[in-house]
Amino acid sequence: MKKYFYTDGTNNFGPFTLEELREKNITRETKVWFQELGEWKPAGTVPELTDIFKLVPPPITKPNSNFNSMENLNNQKPPKTWLVESILVTLFCCLPFGIAGIVNASKVESRFYAGDIDGANRSSEEAKKWTTVSFWIGLAVGVIYLIVVIAGAASGF
Amino acid sequence: MVFSKILKWSIVIIVVTILAILYRTYNPSGNIYFPKCPFRELTGLKCPGCGSQRAVHYLLNFDILNATKENAILVLSLPYILTGLVFDLLKKPNGEILKWRKRLFGQKAIFVILTIIIAFWILRNITYCQQSVAAIRVSVVI
Repeated sequence: MKKYFYTDGTNNFGPFTLEELREKNITRETKVWFQELGEWKPAGTVPELTDIFKLVPPPITKPNSNFNSMENLNNQKPPKTWLVESILVTLFCCLPFGIAGIVNASKVESRFYAGDIDGANRSSEEAKKWTTVSFWIGLAVGVIYLIVVIAGAASGF
Repeated sequence: MVFSKILKWSIVIIVVTILAILYRTYNPSGNIYFPKCPFRELTGLKCPGCGSQRAVHYLLNFDILNATKENAILVLSLPYILTGLVFDLLKKPNGEILKWRKRLFGQKAIFVILTIIIAFWILRNITYCQQSVAAIRVSVVI
């Protein structure tokens, strides 16, 4: 009867018969040895051992949730880019912030279609921040200006 | 929740209506009650948004020609802005709309917009400076 040994990298186990080895839950990567083999080899590469893995499912390739195929992306709506709002802000009040908003809108697009959904969402938040900040600054400047002018008019200037 | 939403939108509609009436009635040009562009006050140069208030005044009076003279980029971008707002409001767009969304508002489109805004910014200041120089020459001759 042929005797088999296997190793976990530090300790060697054996000798086992083929039936005993079947119970050890070894994987295709586990190194095994028997007399005719000469040296330690991964069990998956030894033809006579292949049938002991038959019930072991192949390793699961984890689908990465953050990276989707191009086809999938073209069927989804990207996160809000705030492009229209940024253009309006550029044309009506605070120019530098409006431009920052447009640049971030472009980042949302590029990251989304590169499959980086998390990055796209972050850029969307960033674009929203710039747009809202510039909107309120613009409004505040307008209101302060109006108060100053009315105060000036009231005091007789 | 619903109540606060109704309240919010009522305030927005009232404010927009009041602003529209004000901008339709008064021409911001030379009127001290309308805010001035800080960039122009500081540098003497025009920003891409300069003339927007006057353009809105003319637009509300259906004078597209004068509105375009005040701020061409605002008038020309209005159809684009409205399309963009509609696209944003669609909750579940189909594939065809998404394709158009990507074409019109995608990354390439955004670069084109940025280029147009910056080119407009430079060009309007070049023509503006030429006009100023010409005006100074005329006044010197006279």
